[in-house]
Parts: sequence; structure tokens; C-alpha cells
Amino acid sequence: MKYFFAVFLSFGMQFVFSQTPVTGRITDDNARPVPLANVFLEGTYDGAMSDENGNFTFETGETGHLNLVVRMIGYKEFKKEVTLSGKQVSVEVQLVEEISELKAVTITAGAFTASDESRRTVFRALDIATTAGVTADIAGALNTLPGTQKVGESGRLFVRGGDGNEAKTFIDGMLVLDAYSPSAPNTPSRGRFLPFMFKGTSFSTGGYSAEFGQALSSVLSLESRDETELTRTDIALLSVGGDVTHTQAWKGGSAAAKVQYTNLRPYMNLIRQEIDWEEAPMSFEGIGSFRQRLTKAGLLKIYTNVSRSDFSLFDYSIDDPFQTRLFSQENGYTYVNASYKDILSTNWIIRGGLAYTGLDNDIITGYDAVAENENGAHFKAVVEGSIRDRIELKTGVEVLTRKYSYRVAPAGSGVFSSRFDESVTAMFAETDVYASNNFVTRAGVRVERNSLTDAVTLDPRLSLAGKVGEDGQVSLAWGRFRQTPDNEWLRQQTGLDPECASHYIVSYQRIENNRTFRIEAYHKQYDNLVKIVNDVVTNTGAGYARGLELFWRDNESVNNLDYWVSYSYLDTERDYLDFPVKATPSFASKHNFSVVTKYFIVKLKSQLGATWSFTSGRPYNDLNGPVFNGGRTPSYQDLSFNWSYLPKPNLIVYFSCTNLLGHDNIFGYEYGSVRNEDGLYNSRPIRQPAPRFLFLGIFYTISKDKSVNQLPTL
Amino acid sequence: MKKSIITLSLIVALIITLVRPALANDEKYRVAMEKNIQAVYEAESITQLQQSVNAFERIGDAEKTKWEPYYYAAFGCIMMATRENERNQKDAYLDQAMATVRKAKAIAPGESEIIAMEGFVHMIRVTVDPAVRGAQFSSEAMQAFAKAVELNPENPRALALLAQMQFGTAQFFGSSTAEACGTATVALEKFETNQPESTVAPSWGRQMAEELTAQCN
Repeated sequence: MKYFFAVFLSFGMQFVFSQTPVTGRITDDNARPVPLANVFLEGTYDGAMSDENGNFTFETGETGHLNLVVRMIGYKEFKKEVTLSGKQVSVEVQLVEEISELKAVTITAGAFTASDESRRTVFRALDIATTAGVTADIAGALNTLPGTQKVGESGRLFVRGGDGNEAKTFIDGMLVLDAYSPSAPNTPSRGRFLPFMFKGTSFSTGGYSAEFGQALSSVLSLESRDETELTRTDIALLSVGGDVTHTQAWKGGSAAAKVQYTNLRPYMNLIRQEIDWEEAPMSFEGIGSFRQRLTKAGLLKIYTNVSRSDFSLFDYSIDDPFQTRLFSQENGYTYVNASYKDILSTNWIIRGGLAYTGLDNDIITGYDAVAENENGAHFKAVVEGSIRDRIELKTGVEVLTRKYSYRVAPAGSGVFSSRFDESVTAMFAETDVYASNNFVTRAGVRVERNSLTDAVTLDPRLSLAGKVGEDGQVSLAWGRFRQTPDNEWLRQQTGLDPECASHYIVSYQRIENNRTFRIEAYHKQYDNLVKIVNDVVTNTGAGYARGLELFWRDNESVNNLDYWVSYSYLDTERDYLDFPVKATPSFASKHNFSVVTKYFIVKLKSQLGATWSFTSGRPYNDLNGPVFNGGRTPSYQDLSFNWSYLPKPNLIVYFSCTNLLGHDNIFGYEYGSVRNEDGLYNSRPIRQPAPRFLFLGIFYTISKDKSVNQLPTL
Repeated sequence: MKKSIITLSLIVALIITLVRPALANDEKYRVAMEKNIQAVYEAESITQLQQSVNAFERIGDAEKTKWEPYYYAAFGCIMMATRENERNQKDAYLDQAMATVRKAKAIAPGESEIIAMEGFVHMIRVTVDPAVRGAQFSSEAMQAFAKAVELNPENPRALALLAQMQFGTAQFFGSSTAEACGTATVALEKFETNQPESTVAPSWGRQMAEELTAQCN
């Protein structure tokens, strides 16, 4: 029996007596103590938390060789083998800062990024839907940010002295050809893509990544939503039509289909318009999306948008008001985008896609008929990840190919047609090098080969960002950008070189406690612009744009009030197209100012929004004046209002009115073709089709869970 | 005889040595969990909560097959977020809570308690910035609570959280709180009838249901 106890005790004693004390101190790169860190022996419960001086101490009954682990958010995990034998173990730990999304400096020069997921954004996805005066139009909402110039008769994005074709839209990295719905001459068009489809919006006004080509001034990169877990049906009744969306969810995937009908005819009949419509715009649009997880992290996304629209109007002659001619347009549009993203290993991801745009435009002006057709495909494959600690790489290849044809049949003569096939093959590589959480350098290069010119080009891009103090950061960006000239010119002269621009940007941003301040200055040099010399289309045009921009957003000072203020100053001149001399183009305005406010009234279950925009006078070519583009329009002013009301969790009522004060905005002047008896050309101002646009929408959601509404998607 | 006693005692000792680690480990787990569960329920400061969260993460990493340590780590992180005033730090705690919820979910994917905890993270996320986050996160919280109740209709915490959310929504819309109060009453009944299966099983939330039913009467 004695032996029994002797043996038994000898096994038990080990657990009672051989305790090893483990102590130490934890500091960071700058020798500052790190409190609250989790210190423990790997695979055991034994451990402690460091105190405010970074010290820790605990005892363990373990023996032998074990790993001591130190874990703290914002630092890399520390691991070191220790020998436990009853003798005190003392460890000095120096933690290495981890480059974390939450703390690291980001390159913000020229960029406004909105995302559902990231919280450090200046502009939010929801902002697009709730900005007064834009009726959930993406381009309209972005027009309240610095860097944009309001061009009221176009509705497109005009960025930093660039024209409307210099801003390109990408969905999940894939190019969209013609991102705007057709509209009557001198009336604003709307974007084809509704903000609700996207979880992230990144709007860059310059200096963007080498991944994006064929954009001279701006990139709007939209990231579509992932699969949803909720089956639901959304119904919208609008004053200009309606839509129905059904979303079906299953394990690992979802699909949605939307049918939308828009008809402005009843509205246009009710509220007097400046335009003499024969048939006001009407469109049918079908949208389908499909999401499926193919592997644990691999997600396939397919999106399609098919639409048909038409309108016709009577165009009055400036010289003879009794003479009219019919202008009609029919537009067919198909966009298909399939993309896939998966992880290759812990540090690397692969993504790629294929997009197709098909476009048909049939225009009749008087007795002349024009048929325009474009089919484009975009293929892209990208690999990104970290080569090693603090060095990230993104590299990829892409092919952009399109076929364009244009036929015009003027009354009484034959048919003239022109066409071209273009294929742009590109490779790009870009690396982010973090010196610390406080400093990052991004260097990239893009190589393109264009089949029309058979030339290979190389465009470098470089950005730097550094933290200044706790909340501020300075960014610098420089890069070279190119874009194939507009179809209008390319079809006349297929050998045209791409138009080029160099961007130089310096920016300071400070985000502190829900208040954002940003100031940015830039210079943009244009070369190789299209210029008509003696009726020949050449690449000899050039120009510049420079400016200063301010942005202030405050979501903190007044309870339930969120507002932002943007100001852009622009100085630009060009010698391009048919300009006889260097001049400021008619789309460029010197001063742009916007104030956007959103106020939430809990008692009324409502959000009220108001937006005030001011744009200084724009140049127009006064045919009766001595100087080319010497005329100046009056300033543009608009005060818009919206009201979103939530009477029930799944019901939203939305009302908006633009130009509440009815300001008579004039965008420019059109001129007759012959001099009148006074020796002058007759002129006619280009005005808004109506002083105000009123909109009413009712959004209703049916789902198993009655609390779901369309607000996050509206 | 003596020889046989020696042999027997050696055999017994051998068995004890072999079995002990397994028995001792279960015991060690229970003791460590009980101690830290009490600590996290009683913690008054962020530092104390962090201490518990750290301990739960250590236990979770060592055990690998038990979801409870990560579950309580998430609970601790949520409690830290509710005590923190600075928004970014609040979010950082909630990010950590979500990360531990994911770890727990990977171990026990269909566990109602974990899904309820996930909804709890969303619910607190709303409070960081209600005007901006309300729409998105309140519906995500609601979906999670509904799913947790579906997985286990007997789970009183899922019901209590659901009731809380329904109550807040009803108040906002000025509509009847009858549905919320109904859920709260059921939650309270379930707290009564379903005693925790073990000392390690979740037992919190009763006070929340009681306060809610008090507001209902």
C-alpha cells in the first residue's frame, strides 16, 4: 500500500509544486509600453494581460519547451520559445506594428471612396440616394463633390476641366461603354446604373490606379453587392413609372430580377415643358443579377442590363419660329458583366471578368437618318497580394476590343458609312510600399498597345501619402493618362493617336470625430488632343486645367444634422477641335459651390434634405461678339429639396423637388445660320426644360422579415 | 500477496496517469470557464473586460473544439463597446467581437446562441451612428435574431434580443409594442423553464427581458 501512495504522489506532485513564474515587459517599435496585450503559452490557458506599463507576470505548471505568444490588435503576433523548468522566465517583447486598414494612411489624392464596409470614408454609398436634387442619380450626387463642374444641360460628370467623355465608369473593374441613358439635346441624361446595386463607390478626380486605362480625367469605379441572404420582393411606384424587383436567396447564392418602366409622358403633359415633345421619353429596362459561391471564398457575379428607350420632339428653327423639324431617337442597350474573385493563398487573390456592351442608336433629324452601332468587349485578369511584409503588388492584363459603325443617309443623297475596329491590349503592375502605418508609396506602370495606331505606350503613375499628426494626412499624386479620341473623330480619321493628360495633385485631409476637411490643388496638362486643321482631323491640340478645391463635412456638431460644403476653383484653356485660338471651353465654369444638408427628424420619422448649388457663368461662343467663346452665361443656381418618410418599417415615401426657387438657369446660347437684317445672328438661350422637376416615389418591400426596407438600397 | 499489491498499485497508478490528463482537462476547462464567466458578468471596467476577453481567447485557442470560449470573448467585446465613448474604438471592439463570433461559428455553425450573439453585435453597431447605420444594421440584427429563434425556439436570449429590437422599432415608428411585449413575455417564460444545461452554458439576458416586460406593463 505504501508503494501505491508513493507512486501516486509522485505523479500528483508535479502539478502542485513545479510552478514556473513568467514575467516580462511589452513595448512597441518606439519603446512605448503596450498595455492590455494578451500574453500566454501556446496551447495552454496560462497567461496574463499586460498592465499600463506593459509589464506582465503569471505562473505556469507546464514544463519543457513551449511558445510564449503575445497578441495585441494593431501589432503582429509575437512568438518565442521558452524553457519552463521551475526557474523564473523573463522575456522582453518588442511588438512590430501591423499595417492595418483601420490605422494605415490611405492615398486620398483625387479620391472619394464610399463603401458599406469601410467606415473611414468621407462619402457614403447611402449619400447618393439621400442627396436632394439628384433623384438617386450617381453622377448627380457626385456633382456635389469638389472636382466636378456642373453642366446642367448634360447631366454627365465633368471633372477638372475635362469634358463629359473623359470620365469613365467601371463596374467590378470592367469598363462600361456609354454609362448614360440617352436624352434629348440640351436636357440632362441620367446614369444607367442605380446606386442600390453597389456596395462600394470609388470616385477619382485624378491620379488613379494603373489598373484603369482609357480614361483621361476621372474614374468612377463601382463595386456590386455580394450575394444576399434574404428573399424579398420590392415594389416601387413612381410618378414617372414603376418597377418590381424580386430577389431569391439560397445557400451560397442569390439571384435578382428587376423590371422597370419609365414614362415621362403623363408628367410632361401635366407640367408645361419648354420642349415641344412629340413623344416624351419612355423606356423599358430589365436588370438581372446572379451570385453564386463556387468555393468558400470564390464568388461569381453576373449582371445584365437590357433597355430600350425612345423619344421624339419638334425642333424649332432659330431664324424662323414657324419652321420645325422632327428629331427622334431610339436607343437599344445591352450590358453584360461577369466577374469572379477567389483567393489563391492566404496572401494572394485573383479576380477577373468579361464585360460586353452593345449599343444601337437610330436618330432621325428632319429627313436625315443616322444609325450608329457599337459592340465592345472587355476582358481582364488581375492578381493581387503581398510579396512580403509591407509590400503589396497588383498586376494584370486586359483586352478592350470594340467594333463601331456609323451610317448616315441624308435626304435625297446616298448612304455614307464609316467604321472602325479597335483593340487595346494592356498590362499593368502597381506596388504599395508601406514604410509604416504613417507612410505609403504607390508606384505603377501601364503598358498599352492600340491596334489602330499599332503603337506601344507606357504610362507611369506615382502616389505618396503620409500622416501629419494624429488625424491629418498629406497625399501627392502624379501620373500619365491616355484615351482613344471620341468615336465622332475616330470614324473620320482612324489613325488618330490617343489623347493624353498628365495629372499633378497635392492634397491635405483631416478627419477627426466625424468632421472632415480636405483641400486639394492640381495641375493637368493635356496634349495630343484632337484638333481640326484645314478640315483634317489631327492630334495637334493641347490645353491645361488647374484649380483648388475645398471640402468640409460635419456629422457631429448638430444632433441629427449631416452636411457638407464643396468648393472648386477651375482655370482651364484649350486649343482643340475647331477652336481658332486657345480658349476656355463652354463646359468649364470657374467657380462651383455646393451645400448639401440632411436632417433627420425622429418625431416625423423623416429625413429632410436640401442642396444648394451655385456655378459661375460659363463661356459660350457669341457669334455677334468679337472674341471666340467670349460670351458668359449668367450664373447657375439651384435649391433642391427632398423628403423621405418612413411610416412603416417596410414602406418609404419619397418626394423631391428641384429648383425650389425657380431660378431661370441659362446654359448657353444657340445661333441661327444666317445674319438677320441688322447684320447679327439670331440667338436663343438654352434653358431648363421646366423650372422644376417634381418626383414622388413609394417603395414597398415584402419579405419574411418585415423590418427590411429599401432605404439601404434606395 | 505483497507482490500482487505492488503490481495492482502500479497498474492503478498507470491508469490514473493515462486517464488523468483527459479528466483533468475537462475539469480544468470547466473551472477556468466558470471563473472567467463570472468575471465577465461582473466586470465593471473595460480593463476588467479585456482581461476576461483575453482569457477566453486563450482557452478558445487551446481547446479548438469548444465554441463557448469565443462566444464569451465576443460577449466581453460587446460589453467593452457599450462602455466606450469614442466611435472608432467602439467599432474596433465590435470588429473584434465579430471576429470571435466567426471563430465560434466555424466550430458550431448551427448554434442558436452564436447567431443571437452575431445579431447583438449588429444591434450595438446601430448605436454607434443610428442615422447612418440604422437602416442597414437594424435589419441585419433583426434577421440574425429571427434566425437564432428559428434554430432554437427555446433560446431565451435570442427571444429577449429580438424583443428588444422589436420594441425599439415599434417606438421609432410609434406603432404598437404588443408584438415586442409578447416576445419579451415568451423570453421570460423560457428563462424560467430552460435552466442552463451546464455551468458553462450561457445564462445572461434575463434582466434585459425583465426590464422590457416592466416597460410593457
